[in-house]
Amino acid sequence: MSTAWKFHEENGIGILTFDKPDTEINVLSGQHLGEFRDQVTAIAARRDLKGLLITSAKPRIFIAGADINEINGIVTEKDAFEKAEQGKQIFQVLEDLNIPTVCVINGACLGGGYELALACSHRVASFSDNVKIGLPEVNLGILPGFGGSIRLPALVGLTRGLSLILAGKINSAKDALKNGMVDKLFPEKTLFEDALSFARALQGKKSRKPRKKDAMTAFFEDNFIGRGLVFRRARADVAKRTKGFYPAPFEVIHLIEKTYGKISRESYRLESEHFSRLGTTQVSKNLIKLFFMSERYKKLAWTGTKIKTAPVKKVGVIGAGVMGGGIAQLVSNRNIPVRVKDIQDKALGGALREAASIYKSGLKRGKVKKFEMERKMALISTGLTLQGFRTSDMVIEAVVEDLGIKQKVFKELGDLCGSQTVLASNTSSLSVTQMAAAARHPERVVGLHFFNPVHRMPLIEIIRAAQTSNETLERTVQFSRQLGKTVIVVKDAPGFLVNRLLLPYLNEAAYLMESGIPAEALDRIAEEFGMPMGPIELVDQVGIDVGYKVAHILQEAFGARMKVAAILETVKGQGLLGKKSGKGFYVYSGKDKKPNPEVRITASGPRVSQEDALKRMMYIMINEAARCLEEKVVDSPATVDIGMVMGTGFPPFRAGLLHYADSVGLVKVVEDLKRFSAEVSRDRFEPAPLLVDLAAKNKGFYTGL
Amino acid sequence: MKRIAIVDGVRTPFIKAWTLFDALPAQKLGGMCVRELLERTDFDPAKVDEVIMGCVGQPIDAANVARIISLYAGIPVDKKAYTVNRNCASGFEAVTSAIEKIQAGQNEVVIAGGAESMSNAPLTFSKEAAGIFMELSRAKSLGNRLAVLSKFRLKHFQPVAALQLALTDPVCGLNMGQTAEVIAKKFGISRERQDAFALESHKRVIASREKLREEMMSVALPQKFEKFVLDDNGVRENLTAEQLAKLKPVFDRHSGSVTAGNSSQITDGACALLVMEEEKAKSLGYEILGTVAGYDYAGLEPSEMGLGPAFAIEKVLRRTGLALSDIQLFEINEAFAVQVLACIEAMDCKKFAEKNYPGGKPLGRIDLSLLNVNGGGIALGHPVGVSGARLIMTCLREMKRRGLQRGLVSLCIGGGQGGALILERNA
Repeated sequence: MSTAWKFHEENGIGILTFDKPDTEINVLSGQHLGEFRDQVTAIAARRDLKGLLITSAKPRIFIAGADINEINGIVTEKDAFEKAEQGKQIFQVLEDLNIPTVCVINGACLGGGYELALACSHRVASFSDNVKIGLPEVNLGILPGFGGSIRLPALVGLTRGLSLILAGKINSAKDALKNGMVDKLFPEKTLFEDALSFARALQGKKSRKPRKKDAMTAFFEDNFIGRGLVFRRARADVAKRTKGFYPAPFEVIHLIEKTYGKISRESYRLESEHFSRLGTTQVSKNLIKLFFMSERYKKLAWTGTKIKTAPVKKVGVIGAGVMGGGIAQLVSNRNIPVRVKDIQDKALGGALREAASIYKSGLKRGKVKKFEMERKMALISTGLTLQGFRTSDMVIEAVVEDLGIKQKVFKELGDLCGSQTVLASNTSSLSVTQMAAAARHPERVVGLHFFNPVHRMPLIEIIRAAQTSNETLERTVQFSRQLGKTVIVVKDAPGFLVNRLLLPYLNEAAYLMESGIPAEALDRIAEEFGMPMGPIELVDQVGIDVGYKVAHILQEAFGARMKVAAILETVKGQGLLGKKSGKGFYVYSGKDKKPNPEVRITASGPRVSQEDALKRMMYIMINEAARCLEEKVVDSPATVDIGMVMGTGFPPFRAGLLHYADSVGLVKVVEDLKRFSAEVSRDRFEPAPLLVDLAAKNKGFYTGL
Repeated sequence: MKRIAIVDGVRTPFIKAWTLFDALPAQKLGGMCVRELLERTDFDPAKVDEVIMGCVGQPIDAANVARIISLYAGIPVDKKAYTVNRNCASGFEAVTSAIEKIQAGQNEVVIAGGAESMSNAPLTFSKEAAGIFMELSRAKSLGNRLAVLSKFRLKHFQPVAALQLALTDPVCGLNMGQTAEVIAKKFGISRERQDAFALESHKRVIASREKLREEMMSVALPQKFEKFVLDDNGVRENLTAEQLAKLKPVFDRHSGSVTAGNSSQITDGACALLVMEEEKAKSLGYEILGTVAGYDYAGLEPSEMGLGPAFAIEKVLRRTGLALSDIQLFEINEAFAVQVLACIEAMDCKKFAEKNYPGGKPLGRIDLSLLNVNGGGIALGHPVGVSGARLIMTCLREMKRRGLQRGLVSLCIGGGQGGALILERNA
């Protein structure tokens, strides 16, 4: 007797309800699929039912997807093929029922869950905000393998179906209705009764009205020329977006190209084939790893306590630069009033401009409507004094990177604000502990490091100073999540985590430039590895003066291994500041960049191979990460990986820096580090004890710690 | 009756219509002003019970502009708001309504003030033209549409400025300037005297720039936020009597004396005051600006609306049992120089008192050196829905500077009314 699927009837309409036992989340595992098949087979044998409803007993969730652990467990292509075929065959039995089947969606209906819905003749959902419908498999490096890649384009049309699957878009109820992914929406309260009436009104007939197409759509979908254009465009878009690192979108395009408009047994088999190729790739495995990690980090309890903190209702920002403006926009976007202070009107204008421009681009991309934008912008107010800060729940300082000035700010704030106000610093390199020492109630001081651009980078680094209380930390973690960001908590050490790893990488690139490798080549090597931007262009982007300053702070803290490359000193001395001044290592004009002839290098030392160049840049980060773990600046390798992927764009398809290290094998990493230590620089490349230890035990970061 | 305090207030710079604030409608001016008030007072928006705003030319796309202002300022949705219109004293009415609501126990904390964007007063089609447009939208066939279109005449495309209509009183058929001329002739106040008064208004504003900055917020101008407006821009530096004398009378070409130079200007701006019981303010630790001892409104002949203060002041003095000589500082809105001067004369005139005051006795003469000491509407402008609130705030701040205990604020009101309010401070 099945335990997850239950069947009952109401006046000739069958109702199948899914309720996975012992958990709050409905996912479809192989076992439940088997139970489902048994249920549907029994229903098929009956002659007396007029229709079937398929629903979930769990509030807020219909079926959140197939069991990802099972997908992760796939080892061979044969495994994958069989899994896909199994699911498809079961859903085929469903599709083959000769009564109308109505899928009743009350919450999250994603991946395999929506593929089940697609095998029904009709789909209805509620208006609730909990309804989320989509096929996001591409984000895990696979594609919908239970028939979704075939059924969705057939249902909603080629262009829509293709774009929904390629983007892995998760749709709200209203969007799903517009897209044709559901047929009707009902109020949440009466969803079940309304679905029953809907089913009865079908009077035992499965047939659907054909989709209405306008001339444009018909052109693109109904003839091979139009379709050819669609696929060509899709390939170009995907190539640009993924730079060839992610195979899944291409497999999707290839599959749909072969199967659209001609559904047959063969099309489904092709889907299983394409799925099987993807299911075994390292990319997919890595994306799944990353998915599990980011889900975990969205809710991780950093203080280990269950402190309930009051939500932040008012924020103050001191320092109206680009960061200040970005933070103000981020906060106002969550409907929290925010007050920005600076010493000059000019700076305040800049912050308002920055916020307005972020909203405008959101308007263009349809992420915010004009009337919402007006209301949110109105929540940002500016001033030249500390008026308005006393009653802030959270004050974030983003003033110039000068310890003396920051301490002054914290002293003033400490005297002005109530003891419950969290005082946070957006510093990227200075000691939060020293800032806290200047404030009254230092236990409420914390570091809150945003990444640039604030509205797009998903990471916030929270820095726990020596004095920071659990209460403050918890409040800051909740606040950051309120802002929609993923949080890592690190100890207050120079560079914290992300900058401490990034700077040696940039520095090493500079050394490699000195050895004769041109900037463009170095950037290309890094981009081919998967970094979103090469190191030299990144230095230009951040600002050579800024990079130089942080590099020196790290050199001061960590000594010879972070010795700043001479070329950075030279370039800074020449007055080249990077993108913001139009000239740095590159010269920028519009969207173009060319190597700057003013940067003169006299190559010294032996030629370095491309392979070694990449290794030096990557392994120096791995080495430094090992030190961060040794010193307990971070608590785990997963924190390092989340930080690097979400804070610097380290390639997600490698699942992060330390997953990458483990995939290379730490024995090899240590070997190369030892070679570089002997041949290039002992200071920079001496392997960290933790690394040597793990390598000796033949373990990785994730298996040995 | 509980004593009601004006805790604090702030206003935007007052800007000549169709200049710097042209792109800022009343709801935005009001919204940023109320937000600034909350910041300056560190007051929790969730503790504001109601927002009452004066606004004469309510934006057609922001019905009940006070509500929009309240939400834009970040006050929670469960709080109340409404908009008042007592023409030129709407900003006053907002405050006196707030007082009444608090005394009635309906509210504990009110933000009262005004917001006006005369720049954005709409241009309207005549009723006849509007009718033809409506017909057009209902016509279905091409034939019908053409038939309706042929009804249009050139005159139908002549827009009517709503502003012009608003500043004309339909009962007496005179616009505001024409009522000022009525008074000029009745009281025989010369062109020279009016111009001198106007010149003094400008001079006083210029001399008080620093003081005025205390009550103002700076406004960053969209869309580029490159310019911050810090000062009122209606005032003219280096204005001379000769320049004023050159202007032609606007409302009576032949025998008039009222010119653009001795009238108030058409202006955009907003003002917001935090109002609550004096006891409550003290318990929250606020140092208040002052309290309201009493107020009143009076009705009079619409064609002589400029004399409104002469009537309202008598009423409020009678109500509070005070004499004119008890008042140490005065603010009378400068709708027109002639109208202020006429009021001063009327209040000191036996015949006027016998005709209009129940006691039959004149009130006395207001010393010009105690009136509008930091300038007035002629130099600063008169955003109709706002001025009343500004006058209250500006009077209280000056009373504080001078250590005075009693001030009086008054306005004339288009349509034939006057309003007056007495303010008190503990020295």
